[in-house]
This record gives sequence, C-alpha cells and structure tokens, in this order.
Amino acid sequence: MTRLLLALAVLLAFTEFGFSQEKVDFSRDVLPILSNHCFQCHGPDEKARKAELRLDTKEAALRKQGAVIVPGKSAESEIIRRIESADAKEQMPPKKANKNLKPEQIAILKKWVDAGAPWGTHWSFTAPVRPPVPVSRDPKGIAKNAIDAFILARLEKEKLSPSAGADKERLIRRVTLDLTGLPPTPDEVDAFLKDTTPTAYEKVVDRLLASPRFGERMAWDWLDAARYADSNGYQGDGERTMWPWRDWVVKAYNDNLPFDQFTVWQLAGDRLPTPTREQLLATAFNRNHMINGEGGRIAEENRIEYVFDQTETTATVWIGLTVGCARCHDHKFDPILQKDYYSLFAYFNQTPVNGGGGSGQTAPVMDFGTTAQEQKRKDAQAAFDELVKRIVPIEKKLRDDAAIKDKDGNYASTLPALIESALRKGPNDRADQNYDELIKHFKEKEPEYVKLLPEMRKAKQFRDAANTGVAKVMVMADLPTPRETFILTRGDYSKKEGKVTPNTPVSLPALPKGAPANRLALAQWIASKENPLTARVAVNRLWQMFFGIGLVKTSEDFGVQGERPSHPELLDWLAVEFAEKWDTKHLIRLIVTSATYRQSAKVTPELLDRDPENRLLARGTRHRMPSWMIRDQSLAASGLMTPTYGGPPVKTYQPPGIWEEATFGNKKYAQDKGEAIYRRSLYVFWRRIIGPTVFFDVANRQTCSVKTTTTNTPLHALVTLNDTTYVEAARALAQLATEKHASDADRLGFAFQRVVARKPTEAEAKILLGALEKQRKVFADKVAALKLLKVGDSPRNEKLDASEHAALASVCLMMLNLDEALNK
Amino acid sequence: MHPLLNHQANLTRRHLFGRTATGIGVAALASLLRRDAPAADRKRVGGLKDLPHFAAKAKRVIYLFQNGAPTHVDLFDYKPELTKQKGKQIPDSVVKGLRFSTMTGGQTVRPCLPEITKFAQHGQGGAWVSDFLPHTAKIADELCFVKSMFTTQVNHAPAICFFLTGSEMPGRPSMGSWLTYGLGSETEELPGFVVMTSRDKEASCGQIFYDFYWSSGFLPTKFQGVKFRGQGDPVLYLSNPDGVNQASRRASLDDLAKLNEMTLKEFGDPEVSTRISQYEMAYKMQTSVPELTDFSKEPQKILDSYGPDVKKQGSFAYNCLMARRLVERGTRFVQLLHAGWDQHRNLNTQLKVQCTDIDAPSAALVSDLKRLGLLDDTLVIWGGEFGRTPFLQGKIEDVKSWGRDHHPYAFTVWMAGGGIKKGTSYGQTDDFGFAPAKDAVHIHDFQATILHLLGLNHEKLSFRFQGRDFRLTDVHGKVVRGLLA
Repeated sequence: MTRLLLALAVLLAFTEFGFSQEKVDFSRDVLPILSNHCFQCHGPDEKARKAELRLDTKEAALRKQGAVIVPGKSAESEIIRRIESADAKEQMPPKKANKNLKPEQIAILKKWVDAGAPWGTHWSFTAPVRPPVPVSRDPKGIAKNAIDAFILARLEKEKLSPSAGADKERLIRRVTLDLTGLPPTPDEVDAFLKDTTPTAYEKVVDRLLASPRFGERMAWDWLDAARYADSNGYQGDGERTMWPWRDWVVKAYNDNLPFDQFTVWQLAGDRLPTPTREQLLATAFNRNHMINGEGGRIAEENRIEYVFDQTETTATVWIGLTVGCARCHDHKFDPILQKDYYSLFAYFNQTPVNGGGGSGQTAPVMDFGTTAQEQKRKDAQAAFDELVKRIVPIEKKLRDDAAIKDKDGNYASTLPALIESALRKGPNDRADQNYDELIKHFKEKEPEYVKLLPEMRKAKQFRDAANTGVAKVMVMADLPTPRETFILTRGDYSKKEGKVTPNTPVSLPALPKGAPANRLALAQWIASKENPLTARVAVNRLWQMFFGIGLVKTSEDFGVQGERPSHPELLDWLAVEFAEKWDTKHLIRLIVTSATYRQSAKVTPELLDRDPENRLLARGTRHRMPSWMIRDQSLAASGLMTPTYGGPPVKTYQPPGIWEEATFGNKKYAQDKGEAIYRRSLYVFWRRIIGPTVFFDVANRQTCSVKTTTTNTPLHALVTLNDTTYVEAARALAQLATEKHASDADRLGFAFQRVVARKPTEAEAKILLGALEKQRKVFADKVAALKLLKVGDSPRNEKLDASEHAALASVCLMMLNLDEALNK
Repeated sequence: MHPLLNHQANLTRRHLFGRTATGIGVAALASLLRRDAPAADRKRVGGLKDLPHFAAKAKRVIYLFQNGAPTHVDLFDYKPELTKQKGKQIPDSVVKGLRFSTMTGGQTVRPCLPEITKFAQHGQGGAWVSDFLPHTAKIADELCFVKSMFTTQVNHAPAICFFLTGSEMPGRPSMGSWLTYGLGSETEELPGFVVMTSRDKEASCGQIFYDFYWSSGFLPTKFQGVKFRGQGDPVLYLSNPDGVNQASRRASLDDLAKLNEMTLKEFGDPEVSTRISQYEMAYKMQTSVPELTDFSKEPQKILDSYGPDVKKQGSFAYNCLMARRLVERGTRFVQLLHAGWDQHRNLNTQLKVQCTDIDAPSAALVSDLKRLGLLDDTLVIWGGEFGRTPFLQGKIEDVKSWGRDHHPYAFTVWMAGGGIKKGTSYGQTDDFGFAPAKDAVHIHDFQATILHLLGLNHEKLSFRFQGRDFRLTDVHGKVVRGLLA
C-alpha cells in the first residue's frame, strides 16, 4: 500500500503538476510554489508584507540590494538558505503558517535559481498564441480533429493508448443528453444505427445543434453562473419576473449569437449606440443578484452589496478571476490590488438603483406585460385606491381619538402599541397579520370599520398579484452624471478611502487608448481577442460541460493559485480557434465530434490506478447527470414532458409545507396543474431561500457558480425512488409500454430502451422479467396497485389491468434508477 | 479536494469494487452497514486521513442555537450595578460611542435596566442563573458559562451566519460541514450532520432559517446539513410511494443491484459500486429514521423530563430528544435552531414564556446524555448570536413595552460535556454587562475551541477554493484554554 501510494505520488507529480526531467519552467513550476507558500507575506498585498520583501515581481525578487536570490547560485541565495534552515527562528515559510515546502518543491526552487532564476508571467495573463498541432502516433487512424492530436500526443508521452469508440447506442445517448439535456427517442437511435455512412454521427451532431432544445440545455449552466432565480432571497424573499431574460439566453444559444456579442450585450447592451430591445434585455444578467428588502437595513449598504456582486460575478464568469479578496485588501496571490477591485467596481457603480425598497422589479425595468395584464393592473389599482380613500379618514380619526399628550408634552397613544403601529403603517404597508390584529381589536368598538378591513386586504392582495403578474425585467442603465467611486475600507460602505475611476486591473492588458470610462468599454475589453483570459475561460467551461472536468480543473480560478491546465497547448489552441469567430456551436461541434469524446468509457483497473480522474482522457467520460437532467430524462422517457418553450416559471410537484416551513407560513406553495407540471426543469420556479427540492447537487442560485459538485448520498436515491415526479413517470412509461406491446418481454424492452437508449441484453432481459414477476405478486393486491397508480396528477388508462400496470410501473421506476440511467 | 485525497477516496472505492467484482457484492455491503454497535466502538465513516490532529475530548456536538439573541443581563450575567443605576443613563464611558441597530441607533436616552426577574446562585460553582430557568439552574454544575463572548455583527442573519460559518456573508461551509468533512460520521444510515428548527410558541420573532446556516459552502454538497422537517417525514422523500411496501422495494433494489453489477462489470467504473451502496444506504435510512423517531421505548420519566412538548414534532423539546437519539446512533453534529428571544418591546411578557419553552428540554438533554454515559464525549452548546442591551429600548414608564435591543459587545453562552471545565464560568463583563472586562472571547476563538475539543487544529483544517485555503476561523481564532477541563 505504501509503495502504491508512493508510486501514485510520483505519478501525481507528473500528471498534476507536470514536472519531470524537463527543465524548470517558471510559470508552470516555480510560480505556484512561490504563490502558495510565500505570497501570503511576500506578495502583492502591501499591508500584509513582511520584512519588506516581495517575491511576486521580477524587480523585487531579484533585487541587487539585499539580494535574496543570486541567479545561478542557489547555495549563495538567502531564500534557499532560509527554506532549508533547521532553525525554527529562521525557517521559511514559518512553521505556524502551515505552508511547509516538500523536498521536491525545494529541489525545484534550487534548480530554478541554479538555472539563472529566469522570470516569467503567470501563464493565463499572457494572450494565447495558436500552438502548432502536434503530429502524434495514430496507427489506427482514429484522430478526427486537432483536439485528438493534442490528446494523443500526451497519451503517447504517458505511454497510454486511447480507448476504442463507444458503441453507437451509447454514443448517441451521450451526445443527445450533452447537447439537448434529453435522451434520444427510439426512432432517433434506430435511424442512427441504420445509417452506415461515414458521416452518420456528424449528421446527428448537426441535428442536435440545430434543435431548439440545445439552447435550453446550454442555458442551465449560464443561469447558474448568472445566479438566476425567481425570487429576491433574504427575508421576505419577494418574487421577481426575470424569466424573459432566461428565455433570451435560450434564444441566444439557439441563434448561436457569437460569444463576443453575447458578452457585450449582457454586460453593456444598454450602452450600445441605439440598443435594440433584445440588447437591453440581455443586460438583466447584471440584475440577477439577490435583493435585500429587510426593514432596518441601510439602503446604501444594500446598494454597495449589489455592486460587489455584479463586479465579482463578471470577473468570475468572464475572466476566471476571484477578485472578491481585493474588496478588503490587495489580493494575497494574484496581482489584483484593492484599487483594481474598486476601479472595476466603478463601472457598475453607476446605475440609478439606490438599494432601498427591496422590490424584485426595481427600476430600471423593461415591461413585458400584455395589454390585458396592463388593464387588469390598472383596474386593481383603481379599486385599491378607492378603498384607501374610504378607510384612511377612519383610521386617522381612530388615532386622533386615542392621542394624548404625555407629561413631557409629547404625543402618545392610548392604543396598544401593536395596534398603534398597525394603524400607522397604513393600508398599503400593512401585513396580513396586522389586519388580523386590527380586526380583533376593533371588532366590538368599530364594526363598520372592521367590515372594511377584509375588503381592503383583499384589494391589496389582488393589486399585488396583478402587479407581479406583469413581467418586468430589471435591466441596466447609467446615471446621467457619473457617481464617484471610492475604495471602501474593508468593504465597509461607510468608510471611504481614495477616489478611483473606472479601469481594468493594471496587471492585465490595458484598455485601448481613449476608451471611455463606461461599461461598454469594459465589455469590449473583455470580449476582445487580446484579452488573455476570456476565450480560455469560456472554452474551459465548455470542456467541463462535456468532460466533467475542465482542462483547468479550477474553472472558477485562472489565477496563480488555480490549477494549471492539464493540456496547456490544447487549451490555447481551442481558445484561439474560438476567438476567431466566437462561434460557440463550432467549438462544441469540434469537441463532440472528436475521437476523444467518442471513446468508450470502459476502464481497466490499471488505467484507473494511473488516471483515476481521467484527466489524460485515455477513455471516454462517464458521470452522473445533473439532477435537473435526470428529471427531464424521466419526463421525456415517459412521454409526459410538455414540449413548450419559455414563459413564466412553473410550480411542479413538491412535498407539502416546504416553503411554509422555511418562511413561517408567509409563502404558500400553490402547485400548478396540468401541463405546467411536466415542463422542463429549466422552467421550474426557483425560490432563492429554498430551492426546488426535486433537485440535488445544484448551484444555490444565490451567488455566481461556475462549477457544481457531484456527490452521492442516500438522500439523492430517495428523491429518484420516491418523489412523485419519478413515480408518475414510471407509471406513465409502463402505460405507454402496455398500450404499445403485448408481451412482457416487449413491454420491458420498450421501456428499457426509452430510458437508456438501447435494448436490454439477454441477461438483463432475464432479470427484468424476474423483477416483473416479483412485482406482480406484490401488486396482485389491487388496493396497493390502485394506490400506486394514483401517484401524480395525470390520469391513468383505466382500461389497463391495475395490477399489471402497477407491477410494470414498479419495474420502470427501477429502470429510471439504474446507474446507467443516472449517468451519461 | 486535494488530488491526493481524491486518489485515496478512489482507492477506497476500488477496494469495494474489488470485492464486488469477486462476487461478494450486495451481501457484503449489508455487513458493511453496521447497525447495533455501541457508541464506543462504532466505526468512523468518511473523513480525512490523519484526522483528528490529536486526541479528541469530544466526539460529537449538539448545538442548541438560540436565534434572536437571549438577553444575557436577565438570564446569566448578574449585574447589581444596573439595579443601582436603574433608569439612569448608562455612562458614555461605558458605551464609548459604539453603534447599535437602526432600532435604537437614534435613541439618545439609554436608561439602565436591571434584570426583570430574580437571580440566585446555584450549585457548587455558585453560578448566577435567573429564576426563569429553574431546570438550567439545577444542572449548573455541569455547565461552563462563557460570559465574555462578543461579536462584530449587529443584525440577526449576518451574526448567525458569522457564528456558524465564520463569515457574515453567506457562502462558507458551516461548522457541521467542516466537522463531517474532516471527521466523517459514525453512521451511514443517518446523516452525519442534522439540522432541526423550532420557534417560540408566541411566534414573536420573525427570523427565518436560511439554508446558508447549514450550507456546505464550497465543500462538496454531501457535507451540507440535512434538515429534518418539523412535519411529515423528517427526511424528505423518505417514505415509499403510495402502494409500494418494503417487500416490493426490497425486491426492486435487489434487482437494481443485479443490473448495476452488470454495468460495473462492463465499465469497471468504481462509481457504480458507490451507486450500489448509495441505494442500500437509502433503504437502510428508510428503516433507521422511523426507528429514530419512535419514542415508544423511552422511559416515561425521561420523556417527562423534556417537558410537555416532547412528542410534538417540530418543538424544541422534541428536537432535543431527537438530538440525543441522533448522537446515540452516530451522528456527528446536530444543530438545533430555535427562533425567539428578540424582545425589543415585549421583555416583560415574552421572556418568561420563551424561557419556559427551552429550559426543561435543554437541561433534560444534558442530564439524559449524562445518564447514558454520552456526556463525557459529547459537546453541548447553548447560546445565541449576540446579547441584548443592558439599557432599555423604549420608555421606562411604559413597563409593558420594555425591551432590549441587539447587543453584539457582550453576551453569555454555556457549554457542557466533552472536555469542558464544568461548574465554572469563564470571562466576565464590566459592571453594566456592556463589554468583556476580562478574557474576551471572539466568535473565531469560540470556533477554534470547538474544533480543538474535537481534536482539530483550526489552522490546519482548510480547504482550497478559488485559490485560497479557507478555514472556519478565517485567519483568526485562538483556542480558549481557560474553559478546557
């Protein structure tokens, strides 16, 4: 075991960190060590710097005066001496920092100093240059495109061979799920099996890329990054209506809107010369942040929080940098200064939003209401106003009558504090509970007034519903006069330090000369070929989408502390290729038509030991689908799925009391009926403080997330075994199979194929038949059978024998839970 | 996860894979899932290699979090000076220009308000406890009162978030996530980190329970607290669908395992064996949870000790007994959140009611753990996110509306059990209970101490995220040695 671990450690050193007998590369080998072990005290953060030594710039690290590094001579270099010192007072990094260097890391540093301490910049801060496509050994001629050349070249170096191609059924299932989030239909599988032309697979890919389902699939990950939700978050968690923006994202992917425009529209569509409605709508990206409507909060504090969120989301999503640290101090590792942070912040600090109110439709907004909705809203408001006119004088009188002057001459009320406070709030700001209090208090004394109260409450509810029924999307706009921006001490809204102007981080390429100080300039700077990060970050996330892990595993961090790419040349090649036309579909097509993607996912124990995470890609990837996709698959396989696109979010099945418990009864879950329940996961209503319970391992949609983790807990199994969604899907699938086929074997085969896109093997068919027999015995009990067939809202075909139907449904539920069904 | 740890995780899975491939399969899995082992020799499940860093005094934690902030000056921190100065302005030399919430921020009149009820000393240690908490007073010699707590947050949600995750902004892993990530759990059939919520009977406090209080943050989501519900199945989706009995389910899972074994054989992917055990554990959980919530074998005397609400699902008393039953069965971290305490205007009407709600159950839990021999290595913590002002919110003549505002500058928390110096108090505040006068304990110190009791060095338990090694205690925290046994 120890030997094995040791061998693994060595292998790791090769595969993860890429050092070998090759010469030491500063950016690849040295900088990560300096960053992780030294920058905390000797890095960019001036305030944290110790001993006036900084090691993050060439000038400072290789300073002549009081030199700590003597190029070419590790033995004379103070830095090496201190690292190797056994004296606790001298040893670096100090013991209490818990940053001890490993012998192999010390060896690298010595080797680097001896080689003359050549300096460089962090790899991702230099624009990618298209590397030559390597010529690799490919005796079987499997390579399809440049991606394969890079992958094969690396495999050859590692003395590994690629795997054979996946069988056709599994391949079409994988690519269909990857590109549309839905399983292929049996007809699509059959057509692909029958098509023996050399471009059969490419035809499938082109069909899928052209499918409007493609946009729906792609949108999910973008919504995670954009922290999209249907409510504001925080206490109250009021609803918002940002869904027209969600639909725009779907459309943008389907239209293959070039990624540079996709970027500019979302960040600064409002600043384009004559923005179209669509370009304006795109800017809602920035307004998807949480909104805090808690009473007692200071509006400016909220506003600043929102701008923080906009700044940090933009940095993570487009340039893969974690700038949040620099909110309070210069970044400890990356060359992002606090001043850089607030200069970036300054671009977003210009909207008329003041942080108050807490409405999910806070201006500037775009109206998406229909004429009928508009009329309804006007009517509701008029009815409300009418009642207010009648009730306000009464309430004024009640308060006046109760008013007394206390001994200091101040006004006081003889009414109980609760009642006085409820009256003071007025009909508009009064909560339901206040109405109850008033009714209770005045029941005897003021019957006429009390009669009006329920009416008033109803009118208010009606008016509020009419208001929120009209979709209004929060979008971006800038104030006519720019707002001044200051560095905020430790991010405290009230503690202003030096003034800053909008600018990009100093360590990244500068803005073009004469660029205006507005968001459009920032957007264009991000979406330019010269930006070293944008294209790399974008292609890496696409890679992550299809292979489970990005070429840079830390897809959220391309900074010095992030992981280095497993295939740096491939990443750069893809980035340059992408930035030529910013053609997302083209890039995806390249990926999914590569031989690398098409490999079988079968793995030998040897290969598993060599490369457990499959970073080298000597095999196809196999991983659990996101939970939203598992749901969509079940809906599609069972034929229940409602195929419509877009529109307001829907409330699907959820166990009773979830919202109520989380909000102390303030939010009541009213499940939709009929078609709405069976819409794709993308359209499921997302309450920010308590997300839909049918999903697991999902981004929280509270702040930006560009990578979700996949875990396996028993709780997940309970969802897919017991949630109404899955039970009903199983029952519908069984019904479909029974209606279409007569024999057990055919019915089972049909259902199985709808779930995993292939026919069962003989051995599998036998198990399935056995399973059906067992379930038959259970559901011979008609009462039990009928109970199972009542799960879910859709009616069952009552012509079918209930026991037979339930038994098959039970087997179908098992099929939906097959490892193969949960994986792609 | 660190690549090497990933390796190790995979190696473990491969061992399992090796076994299933040689045909032991599902049967072996059943034996892996231990049920009736006594707490002492239960096997650890998951967690990081080489942890704990040193011998732990406590193996598990029950945190009785009191959302809304209990008033320290009425309940634990007896200040005769407040009586002497009753109604008089609290001296500026004490307040030192510190800020308060927007509710009293504008109030310039700050009359001292002494405790609204009676204090007395209790036990060998002579701890001062309010007569609103008679049961707590009786177990005073089991407790250590930390009287010099302070925080930097003045509003509920950020302050609670700070307490439980080390940061006032949502998004960091909570204490229970850190502990289960580092130490794993001692049960596979029940979650390692369980959260239960309740609220005061009068529902006087509007604080809601945000899920970021038990979020796994950037740790894998399996370390997220599992919230047991206050109604219906405590675990979501626990019950079989209507019409499906356990026999049907068992048969299905057996067939499912057989089919998955074929996939495992074909692909060699160790994740498939993880999947097989995942479904087995789900099945076990379906029987373990009902057993867990079945109080029928609890002696009547014990049930009574938790107070009249003990059988009411979703009450604090019910949750306290559940907490004991969970740790008995191997859960690592049980976090109760009880909302109330926020007496801005109703100190005289609400405080007693709320104390009655929680007093017997909290004390019974400690005694019950002791009776079962679990108190020695279980850490119990009781306290809120801050204290309440020693001065009055409202008008002194309006006795009915007396209240106290949020007070981050000093408050009291008590601890009991594993590794705690019992029957003592730690730290003290000034004569007004306004700020620590001796041995101040910051939230990060408190967190460092909890980790220490569980055998963890708070500076070493870290996780790399977005390029930085994050800790529960951020870059702060000192273990408070003075309260360790």
